[in-house]
Amino acid sequence: MSEQIEQALARKYEAGFVSNIESETFAVGLDEEVIRRISTMKNEPEWMLQWRLKAYESWLKMEEPEWAHLHYPKIDYQSISYYSAPKSMKDKPKSLDEVDPELLRTYEKLGIPLHEQQMLAGVAVDAVFDSVSVVTTFREKLEEAGVIFCPISEAVHKYPELVKKYLGTVVPRSDNYFAALNSAVFTDGSFVYIPKGVRCPMELSTYFRINEQNTGQFERTLIVADEGSHVSYLEGCTAPQRDENQLHAAVVELVAMDNAKIKYSTVQNWYPGDEEGKGGIYNFVTKRGICHNNAHISWTQVETGSAITWKYPSCVLKGDNSVGEFYSVALTRGRQQADTGTKMIHLGKNTKSTIISKGISAGRSNNAYRGLVQMGPNSDGARNFTQCDSLLIGDQCGAHTFPYIESRNPSAIVEHEATTSKVSDEQLFLCQQRGLDAEKAVSMIVNGFCKEVFKELPMEFAVEAGKLLEISLEGSVG
Amino acid sequence: MSQWLEQVIDRASEVQDWLGPIRQKSLAELREQRWPNRRVEAWKYTSLTPLEQLQLSGSDKATQVPYDQIAGLESLDLVFVNGQLQTDLKQCSLPAGLRIRNLSEADDESGADLFADIKPKRHLFGLVNDVLAQQGLIIEVADGASIARPVRLVQLCTLGGESHTRILVRLGEKSRLTVIEQGEGQDPSLSTAFAEYELGRQAYLEHYRLSLHQAKAVQLGGSHFRLLEKSQLNSHLVAYGSDLSRLDVDIEHAESHAFAKFNAIYLLASGETFDLHSTIEHRVPHGTTEENARGIVGDRAKAVFNGRIHIHRDAQKTLAELNNRNLLLSRRGQINTKPELEIYADDVQCAHGATVAEIEESALYYLQSRGIPRSQALVMLNFGFIQELVNQMPNRVLGEWLQVRLKDRFRQMEVK
Amino acid sequence: MLKIKNLHASVEDKTIIKGLDLNIKPGEVHAIMGPNGAGKSTLGYVLSGREGYEVSEGSVEFKGQDLLEMDIEERAREGLFLAFQYPVEIPGVSNMEFMKESVNAMRKKQGLEPLTAAEFLKKAKEACKQVNLPLDFLKRGVNEGFSGGEKKRNEIMQMILLEPKLCILDESDSGLDIDALQVVANGVNSQRSPERSFIVVTHYQRLLDYIKPDFVHILADGKIVKSGDASLALEVEKAGYAWLGDKSKEAGA
Repeated sequence: MSEQIEQALARKYEAGFVSNIESETFAVGLDEEVIRRISTMKNEPEWMLQWRLKAYESWLKMEEPEWAHLHYPKIDYQSISYYSAPKSMKDKPKSLDEVDPELLRTYEKLGIPLHEQQMLAGVAVDAVFDSVSVVTTFREKLEEAGVIFCPISEAVHKYPELVKKYLGTVVPRSDNYFAALNSAVFTDGSFVYIPKGVRCPMELSTYFRINEQNTGQFERTLIVADEGSHVSYLEGCTAPQRDENQLHAAVVELVAMDNAKIKYSTVQNWYPGDEEGKGGIYNFVTKRGICHNNAHISWTQVETGSAITWKYPSCVLKGDNSVGEFYSVALTRGRQQADTGTKMIHLGKNTKSTIISKGISAGRSNNAYRGLVQMGPNSDGARNFTQCDSLLIGDQCGAHTFPYIESRNPSAIVEHEATTSKVSDEQLFLCQQRGLDAEKAVSMIVNGFCKEVFKELPMEFAVEAGKLLEISLEGSVG
Repeated sequence: MSQWLEQVIDRASEVQDWLGPIRQKSLAELREQRWPNRRVEAWKYTSLTPLEQLQLSGSDKATQVPYDQIAGLESLDLVFVNGQLQTDLKQCSLPAGLRIRNLSEADDESGADLFADIKPKRHLFGLVNDVLAQQGLIIEVADGASIARPVRLVQLCTLGGESHTRILVRLGEKSRLTVIEQGEGQDPSLSTAFAEYELGRQAYLEHYRLSLHQAKAVQLGGSHFRLLEKSQLNSHLVAYGSDLSRLDVDIEHAESHAFAKFNAIYLLASGETFDLHSTIEHRVPHGTTEENARGIVGDRAKAVFNGRIHIHRDAQKTLAELNNRNLLLSRRGQINTKPELEIYADDVQCAHGATVAEIEESALYYLQSRGIPRSQALVMLNFGFIQELVNQMPNRVLGEWLQVRLKDRFRQMEVK
Repeated sequence: MLKIKNLHASVEDKTIIKGLDLNIKPGEVHAIMGPNGAGKSTLGYVLSGREGYEVSEGSVEFKGQDLLEMDIEERAREGLFLAFQYPVEIPGVSNMEFMKESVNAMRKKQGLEPLTAAEFLKKAKEACKQVNLPLDFLKRGVNEGFSGGEKKRNEIMQMILLEPKLCILDESDSGLDIDALQVVANGVNSQRSPERSFIVVTHYQRLLDYIKPDFVHILADGKIVKSGDASLALEVEKAGYAWLGDKSKEAGA
């Protein structure tokens, strides 16, 4: 029976194509000069350059963390190119008509048409290709509502005060090894500002694509939701199928001011490498949000890609009555390794957090949940509930749970539960007796296992996530 | 490397006895060890500063120190003071099938494998004990022997005293034994007390570790169990905290169909620290483990619990459950808990849970509505939380003796 | 409809069915009774193709085709339905979703268009009504947290929706009180038709008070040791299975 499941899991990586686009790519290697050149390419003001150089200085003094349940050869940071951009982007296209059609075709192939008329109404997209933002749609419509949605490289010029005020406040430059690296070399990403009391009229989304060989992608996203505002933000990512590993080290910072709400959803489908573990993206990501009074941040992630995933979207619940949520589905197969989870730092009174993590391991993969729930001395009445479930498919994979709980407040309550299960023969038999083939049955059972998380995704994404899981589970049975 | 560790290594080179080759190996490993700081996972929450600052004068080794006899327990008491066995083994009349020797007097090799093989490799203070422990006991139960009389090992530490002991216990096939490991001390002192147990096929071990060190008494120790086919372990731990108190309990399912139950209670007051690391290794199919740890933390005390369950690739059909519940009574106290699962086999049932909470208001209200004052209701409820585990101890005499001591202990704690 | 000839089947190398013959025509209801361990449930599993149930000898023809050559889901799509004695839970997968996939898999086989959500919902609601299941059971996970009786009714609800050709009810009466038993029986009776056949597997006669069988077979030690009409069930009710002690030895000799 487990062979049937294994087969049902054999999958194609559909986003694995390479686009033939002429790019300007830096030679590999990293030193101060490279950082200066990135800054020059972006025509950055001096303060931004200084910020990068300080980050670089701290990065040099730091050591790559080794505590995660991950095994991979040492990354050679001198064999990576830190900047690559399509040549056609050199003179910024003023409109979509000026964008290289090959670029547009790339996104179309990925199911992200960038022509506004073809798009799902209600979703604005920032498309990031290697190191630059290609296009941001629906900007005018958003501007009417006062919402700023633009590449962060542009925000540095157009809204320097906002960027200066918030950049690095949630994830400091020297927060950790990968965040420091990102702070030094980040190339693009999205910037979002929702003014006071505004409910963002549409979903915002960024689609990241790595195309060029031997380049790293280091994007930086900053979302500020001012008092009483609401925004829902989606993020997707893919990369071509290549034999070499590629590094992706992003930083995402969320600021939710009093009474604001940010919903951040990710469908991560970076190239996972082949069956034998050759190639694939190394995904080292720092995502963190800060909640002021009564604010609410919700992270939802569906992680199916990457050879290595190191990612802990977190909430600092600073304000009283603030709420943090983390809903995660992580599927690993082949030789993928994931070490992912969240941190909920309860500082304010009556702060609440919920963690629902669903890990699915198949093949020879390893899938670990790592989480921290911290109840500070002043977190009177704070509550956390954590549920971590693992589903093992086959007897060659691993499923692990490392939850850290630290409490310093007698009135705070933390509850953590973890279980592990497998797709049972009985379940498969019932489905097949009702006429479903093994492939459909497994995909249905896995989807059911993930349901609590999928229902948190925005509608457009829930469909994509479901499809992604189905593709992931698609195979040769029947 | 710390000064303390350097001294240990210096002293170790003077130790010479029949365990020489094993000690040499551990000494070599010890030289490679880095002194742990907070970035070392196993010592993330527990500082070794109290050990580094400890002034050990080297106390009078021959002191007779009074200790509590437990009425009705009818145990065979073997008493160590500052690491020296005070009981004359020749004067003890042992039941048939039970053999006990002092580690220092054993001249054959039958204890060597117990000494060397059961303790997990990773253990820094286990290595320290490897090179320094010259006193201790080798306890052997013959195949099929059922020893009714509990063996009670009392280890006392006095002012300035230092104690490094090793207890090695081997249960033969289908044998039964009860062992109580009890450690006590309050004054500045250091004890590393490690015990290794091998449970033969279908053997049954009832085990208690009473770690009643307090205040300035530093303790670093552990109990390690290897379970052979169909053996059963029923183990209960009770701990107070001290400036530094750390225990490692490791249970290895080395052969299939073994059953392990491990309960732990910790009751911490003032500025004490207690750190319990438990590791359950399921290496083979059809093993069962039930682990329950409960703690109450008052004042400025700090509890650390790390409960790891590791299911190896071949350990199909394992049933393993771990539950850790904590009550935090004080704003200045802290609880750090991490239940870990590491699973490499798919046909297993594993679950863990951990909670940190306070007494439920509704329960408190219920008691108050029956006329019980709030403060008393709190004590009752808090104690009830612990009581459930005390009640599971198969030896009722010991359970009741402990209950009295735990209640005393509880009265000293700050209940808001 | 179904022709079983000299069927031998084993589980984990233990032979459970030892030469069973059975012939079922369209529209007939056959009851199979017998003591515990006679192989009643095994028969249902073998016919539905459950893994681990090995056929060593004999043949089974279903609607003129070799049943034993088909996969589990093919058999189901051909119209073979097994109502489980102990239906398994599938957390998170709603009954509705599950049945919709299932119904459409059957329809695809018959060359029919899949039902739209609205069409399906209408049918599902009717099926629920027939077995007295509240509509919110459609939204709940398959058998998740259902009581024993609810699980049994849920099985019959699925049977009604899937409109199979051959229904095998594996102790659909066990653990039910008299009211629930009637609900299950009424659900089954409403589905009786000249094209549809039933195998009703039961330990007790009482279910057969409500589902009148055309034939009753006594299964003991892997063989049918006696066949008759509905009156045979009443005989068993009176005499129990003890008399089989000798009978099954005879049959084995």
